[in-house]
Amino acid sequence: MTEAAFQLSGIVQTFPGVRALDGADLMVRPGEVHGLVGENGAGKSTIIKVLAGVYQPAEGRIEVGGSTISPATPEKIRDAGVRFIHQELHLVPYFTVAESVFMGQEISGPFGLCKREMRSRAEAFLREELGSELPGNRLIRDLSPAERKLVQVARALVDGAAKVVVFDEPTAPLASEEVLKIMTAIAKLKTRGIAILYVSHYLNEIVDICDRVTVFRQGKNVAIFDEITTDTGPALVSAMIGRDLDAFFPTSSRSAGEVALRLEHFDDGQAFSDVNLDIRRGEIFGIAGLIGSGREELIDALYGLRKSQGTLTLDGATVDTKTAAKAVANGMVLVPRDRRHDGLVLPMTVAENATLATLDENATFGLIDRGKARQVTEALIKDLDIRPSNAQAVTRFLSGGNQQKVVLARWLAKSAKVFIFDEPTVGVDVGAKAEIYQLIENLASEGAIILISSSDPVELVGTCDRVAVMMRGDVRTIIEKQDLNVDHLVAVTTGATSVSETEHAS
Amino acid sequence: MQVSARHQKHRLATLVGFLPLIIFLALLLYVGLNAPNFMTVVNLKLVLAQSLPVVLSVIGLSAVVMAGGDDVVSGGIDLSTPATAVLCAGIVSVMTTAGQPLLIAAGASLIACMLVGVVNAVLITRLRMAPLLATLAMFVAVVGINNVITARKRLNLAAESIASLRQDFVFGIPLGILLVAVLALLAYHFLHRSKWGLNLQAAGGSRDAAEISGIRVDRLVAQTYLLAAFMGFVTGFFMLARANGYSPGAQDNLMLEMVLATFLGAAFSPRRIVTVWGAILGAVLVAAISIGLKTIGVNVFWTDLIKGALIVIVVALSAISERVQ
Amino acid sequence: MKTLFAATSTILALGLSPAFADNTLSLEGKTIGVAVVGTQHFWDREAFNGATSMVEELGGTVVPVDGGRDNQVHADNHDVLMNRGVDAVISILGDGSVEPKFEALQAANIPVFAVDHPSPYAVNNTTSDNYYMGTTIGRYMADAIGGEGKVAVFNAFENSLRICGIRTGLWKYVLQDYPNIEIIQPELAEEFANAPEDARRQTLDLLSQYPEGTIDAIHVGCWDQPAIGVVQALEEAGRTDIVVTALDGGPETLEIMAEDDSPFVANVAQQPRLIGQTAAENVARYFAGETLLPQTYVDVIPVYGQDGAKAAYSKLGYGEIE
Repeated sequence: MTEAAFQLSGIVQTFPGVRALDGADLMVRPGEVHGLVGENGAGKSTIIKVLAGVYQPAEGRIEVGGSTISPATPEKIRDAGVRFIHQELHLVPYFTVAESVFMGQEISGPFGLCKREMRSRAEAFLREELGSELPGNRLIRDLSPAERKLVQVARALVDGAAKVVVFDEPTAPLASEEVLKIMTAIAKLKTRGIAILYVSHYLNEIVDICDRVTVFRQGKNVAIFDEITTDTGPALVSAMIGRDLDAFFPTSSRSAGEVALRLEHFDDGQAFSDVNLDIRRGEIFGIAGLIGSGREELIDALYGLRKSQGTLTLDGATVDTKTAAKAVANGMVLVPRDRRHDGLVLPMTVAENATLATLDENATFGLIDRGKARQVTEALIKDLDIRPSNAQAVTRFLSGGNQQKVVLARWLAKSAKVFIFDEPTVGVDVGAKAEIYQLIENLASEGAIILISSSDPVELVGTCDRVAVMMRGDVRTIIEKQDLNVDHLVAVTTGATSVSETEHAS
Repeated sequence: MQVSARHQKHRLATLVGFLPLIIFLALLLYVGLNAPNFMTVVNLKLVLAQSLPVVLSVIGLSAVVMAGGDDVVSGGIDLSTPATAVLCAGIVSVMTTAGQPLLIAAGASLIACMLVGVVNAVLITRLRMAPLLATLAMFVAVVGINNVITARKRLNLAAESIASLRQDFVFGIPLGILLVAVLALLAYHFLHRSKWGLNLQAAGGSRDAAEISGIRVDRLVAQTYLLAAFMGFVTGFFMLARANGYSPGAQDNLMLEMVLATFLGAAFSPRRIVTVWGAILGAVLVAAISIGLKTIGVNVFWTDLIKGALIVIVVALSAISERVQ
Repeated sequence: MKTLFAATSTILALGLSPAFADNTLSLEGKTIGVAVVGTQHFWDREAFNGATSMVEELGGTVVPVDGGRDNQVHADNHDVLMNRGVDAVISILGDGSVEPKFEALQAANIPVFAVDHPSPYAVNNTTSDNYYMGTTIGRYMADAIGGEGKVAVFNAFENSLRICGIRTGLWKYVLQDYPNIEIIQPELAEEFANAPEDARRQTLDLLSQYPEGTIDAIHVGCWDQPAIGVVQALEEAGRTDIVVTALDGGPETLEIMAEDDSPFVANVAQQPRLIGQTAAENVARYFAGETLLPQTYVDVIPVYGQDGAKAAYSKLGYGEIE
């Protein structure tokens, strides 16, 4: 067994009220590609930040290249040869490739910058170390996402001192064919004896390129796979989930009606292409997909927040979704994922937010009838159990769950036919989650069409009748109720099980 | 297919990007053909001489914008430079009129100007005030201080040597133009050809990118506000030479022209960003157009409208080119 | 009052006469640069319009340039005119910044005809009778406050503009004979651009320092744009104990004087359009070979009280105030 390139042992990291890491271990050897997987909140990003020296753990030891680093500061970690390829690109769009690669470590002579040398060295590094023929004078904004990623990698490694490289979701914004470029680069780095920690939600990639994999769950490493075979995928999934379905989902005796909402050939020419979906009245329809699958973009497009082509028919009539206003006028409403930015006007009161979409109905000749608006809001506050139950409370000071209910209240105030929920329970506490699920269930029972886009497989399995799984811009499959379980959904979403197997199984 | 579409878009963007320059050159050509003595060396000297205060102040402002980012609302900007310039002019005038030697007066005004820069830097990098608000407030405050110092009175030039910036020649070139050219070249070198300059641009382009690359962004930003204050100090002397003394009220027009030239300059840069040479070119072109319109005898009530429309067109084209890309 | 009325009409008749007298004057084939410091204020605009229209009437071509109320830009504009090549320059107002430019124009054999700016480098300066303006407004103001009391003065330009030196200096000279009139120190300095609003703010500050009964008059030493702001401030503060006096007598200030119970009681009206026209005629006279005196004076109209304002308004051709 070779010596470890780096080793984290017994790491405990606490935040107010949370034990984010609870005695976690992670060890990567030189010349290996080591996968790190786990669900959101399992502690992956926390342990990366501990390794980076950003967090100072309460307990545990950090060793790089056989020597302990204590305390671990970002500078010391960097000096020890650990480099991070962040998920965000952090590049200046109008810089050239060469300028970006040498950012912060420019080559400069007595007469200023040696631009020519920087360019030739950047090109040589990209070609020899990462297998890419990028010209050094190209501007970043003219590069494809994968090329930008390679520039980011080159910047981290160009000083030649890297011993450990951490890739955090490097392929998330990339199209399938572009992923190969990153994989080629990683394979090249591996042959140089560099230790690589590869963090990704895409289990198929993990299986493809990793030599070993560590699985995190609830702040600990729960499994280490020393050998990766094609069968490892499902095993990874069960190690990642390892928990029971939460019992707070409502029981349902609904039966869906006829097809009422139809999406045909939806295409934005970029994030998703040729999406076709039929959704029934009274149905709760889920859309699953990792970041970069086109799921978020599709939801935006449906609501006119993103340019796209395609036909949307509601009850047989074609609906114009070019702008959000037209979508609302046609009875489609969106409960957005980032309610602080998109959903609520935080300095306004609960009553003002709740009646924002129905101002016309509460106004006479353009003047808002405050009394009427308040009546409507008070009824909604009671129905939704918004706390504090005060229509004049300022929305900013409400908890996440109650803010989400205010967004709901706005759309309930308007009688809509289609409700689109984008990440309906992100940042919402468990109790409020259950209430929101019940509310969604009630809406469906009353005959509304519900679309839920979510990154939480448990949520989708618990609430939906059917779930469409998107991957790299396509709807890969639609999972019917009888096949809907978390293991299976995660396996399909992450690519651990390919679609053909799915269809075989069902 | 996709590549060629991108390529086509790119070419369209480049074409639209060049339109401002084409419009300016066409207008200059029109003026040149219609105005007597416009396309002469003497007139070139005149254009350059009249643009000197603006050129000097845009050097400071473009450094600030490069380090702080070019978002007009939240990015880097220093509106106080013109106020710093008149403060310098005011202090030097009052002290030399009172019989102090020029060197002492210059020293005192340098200290005062750099103090303005330090306050700007502290407000922006320590207290995290929005640069637009912080420097606008400083502009008002500094003009106020200057009004107290000068009692808002016109003061004739007491130190005759300052007039050499206006009237002396070196190798047939006006001394003032020569000095500013040297300063502009130095500024170009340090802002565009040095490690420091590239780090400035990185900080302005993506603060996060710069920080994770180990660049000390706040320190760089603070340095640019000091540079801007220093350029304000230098501008002050050129204003004294130009007006043959201190004339109150010159800061407003200078601020307007400085900001316009800097952001106009971005339209002339291939990367569509604020650069020193772009800003200087902007300053000279605005002076040239303005002199051209006067020379062909355009009705004075129309010149501001024409200038404003021109600026809107150039900035709009720049925005369109950005969008196409 | 009757004598005064008679006097003004005589002066007016005299003042207007040159415009009709010389039919022989011509600027045919000449290009005349007209530089004005700004066109926001009535006086400046009228002088500018008077000069340009008369140049055109006499057959000349005008190259107009406007300094936008910035003395430095105004000075630079003379360089533009020189480079463009004009036969003569009419330069309206401006401070010491223009002196080097006049000098350069003279060296280039381009004659300069100044308006309200006496300069050794100009052929001639056309101006109002500033001596009469200064002494008259001094007497009127002293009369209005009964020969005693405290007076605040806006006086930014006494030392920098010769015409203001004359007007304010002679106003002070008259006050020497009124030992019981005291000028409040320090004197106030008004802003050049944005004068009314700036004067309004400064007056409000002044009023809070000097309560009811401790100040009797506010005088604007060289022009009357600030007086608009002064009157506004007095109305805002509800102060009726103070009288306002100023110089220039443009239509907007005459209108304020003509209001009932206006605190603005005395003014001396100039004829800016006639001044501009006279400057243009002087250019023609110069080219016709006449020898010009260094100063050409255009007569002024003293204005006292509401009725005086109405009469002057009508005499100057601004219309009728009911």
